[in-house]
Amino acid sequence: MTTRVLVTGMGGELGTRVAQLIEAREWATEVVGVDFVPPRRRLRRALFRRIDPRDADRQAAFVEEYAPHVIAHFGVYEPASRMTPASARERTYCCTTATLSAAASTGALEYVVVRSGLEVYGPPTGRVSVPDEDAVPAPTTPYGRSLLAVEAAARGVALRCGVPVGALRYAPVVGSHVPSPLGRMLRLPVVPVSAISDPPFSLLHPDDAAHTMVAAIERRLDGACNIVGEGAATPWQAARLGGRVPLPVPPGLWGAVGRASEIAGAALAPHVVDLIRHGCTGDGSRARAELGLTRPTPTQDVLRELFDWADVVAIARAGEEAA
Amino acid sequence: MTADVLDADRIAHPESPLPALRRRLSGRYPVDPFGLDPQLADLFLPLFAAAVRVRVSGGEHVPPTGPAVIVSNRGFGIAEPAALGVAVQRASGRRLRVVGAPDVRFVGTATRRLGAISSSGPDVASALRAGHLVGIPLAPTWLRTGAGDAPLAVARALTLAPIVPAAVRAVGRFGSIIGSWGVTFGPMVTLPDPYDPSEPLAAARFTEAMRRAVGALLSAG
Repeated sequence: MTTRVLVTGMGGELGTRVAQLIEAREWATEVVGVDFVPPRRRLRRALFRRIDPRDADRQAAFVEEYAPHVIAHFGVYEPASRMTPASARERTYCCTTATLSAAASTGALEYVVVRSGLEVYGPPTGRVSVPDEDAVPAPTTPYGRSLLAVEAAARGVALRCGVPVGALRYAPVVGSHVPSPLGRMLRLPVVPVSAISDPPFSLLHPDDAAHTMVAAIERRLDGACNIVGEGAATPWQAARLGGRVPLPVPPGLWGAVGRASEIAGAALAPHVVDLIRHGCTGDGSRARAELGLTRPTPTQDVLRELFDWADVVAIARAGEEAA
Repeated sequence: MTADVLDADRIAHPESPLPALRRRLSGRYPVDPFGLDPQLADLFLPLFAAAVRVRVSGGEHVPPTGPAVIVSNRGFGIAEPAALGVAVQRASGRRLRVVGAPDVRFVGTATRRLGAISSSGPDVASALRAGHLVGIPLAPTWLRTGAGDAPLAVARALTLAPIVPAAVRAVGRFGSIIGSWGVTFGPMVTLPDPYDPSEPLAAARFTEAMRRAVGALLSAG
């Protein structure tokens, strides 16, 4: 039996890792990916098609021609990660609508799983601080709303085609090879933190993110599922774990700090400011029970790995030191 | 690579000051998603234990591991939850996650650091799924007369784990925080008939059963 798998966003770190894992599975007879940048690692049998998601007609034509059975939708772009917030929103919208609507029209679709995030829940209200999947999403940032729109589009496909649809609500994925505004901010020498709160947030290791995506496909996970690293950390603590200096920021000054941070090379997206000010965690018990994520990498180990990553050394300076 | 593990479920002896300070400054201490900071909580527990003298009976009913709910009476203030926390530590060595962290800046953060969680159903359910021992006070009876009403907002979450009733009584001369407290744990609350834990009616029956169980422990004492 043939199973054709389409990985959107294959050029990202997570998309590439998932493609590597899927091409090692016997059930996946064909693996194809699309993105506007090439994959980050060597892929042995997966095929890649370079398409900018904004070229919706080309993307839709490609999907219709390939007629995938399974879609792993990583074409969800984080603002200030590899592009501006406006561009991220546009690419996410175009990629999601073009891919899903084209796949639904082929009649071959059997399963869809989309990358989402804990940002869909919005900041903790004080009443619910560790939301499970039954909590009502109330995003307050553009990225959170964008993720919720992706989930809604996928549910629309589920209704139209009668197929199960999974939505993996990842905690922020941070790692030495993952372009992330939060990771970049935490690696600044001086880390902005809230002057009036120090809320907990959870992170997710890229390997856990990739493995749960494959597990969701294999087990045909239906509905939303929080994917969260074990434990939590606070912004002050994270800064100190990396030997950085925490800079307390009063509530009215986050705009100015965002501009300064952008000049320093780490643009601050609203969802990152939300995380620093209000925290971001979730209940990962469904992923433990249904996806076998029994021992996710602890949040503080994810942070350590981020900080252990060697600093960038200018080639000229490295040459001088070697001489 | 391993996390700095200070057990979130079991109370430990406070570290000596210098290593504790070093750990604080370098950020090497655990925090749980609800905001608990075990290092700080372990530091403060001896102060609570010194301020609130507690006599414990029926400690064998407190589960040594796994998720469970301890339901107790309470009056005005934080004396009963504090006495209950000290009693649970004496009986089982476990940390009690008291429900009812106030939604007030600074105060809420401070109580969460010490282990409190919010009184919302989803948070209580999450804490139980994570295997914590959750303490739920019944509605306050301002003059400390009997057991108050059970919290209906979290009733559905309570059916996820064994429920142990507890009675907290002032036994000191002044009947207040200055005096001593007696904490009595009772056997697990059960329903006489078979039930489906997912049914709202089962949750309602449990709330009534736990109120009766706490009331019986109070009147027996």
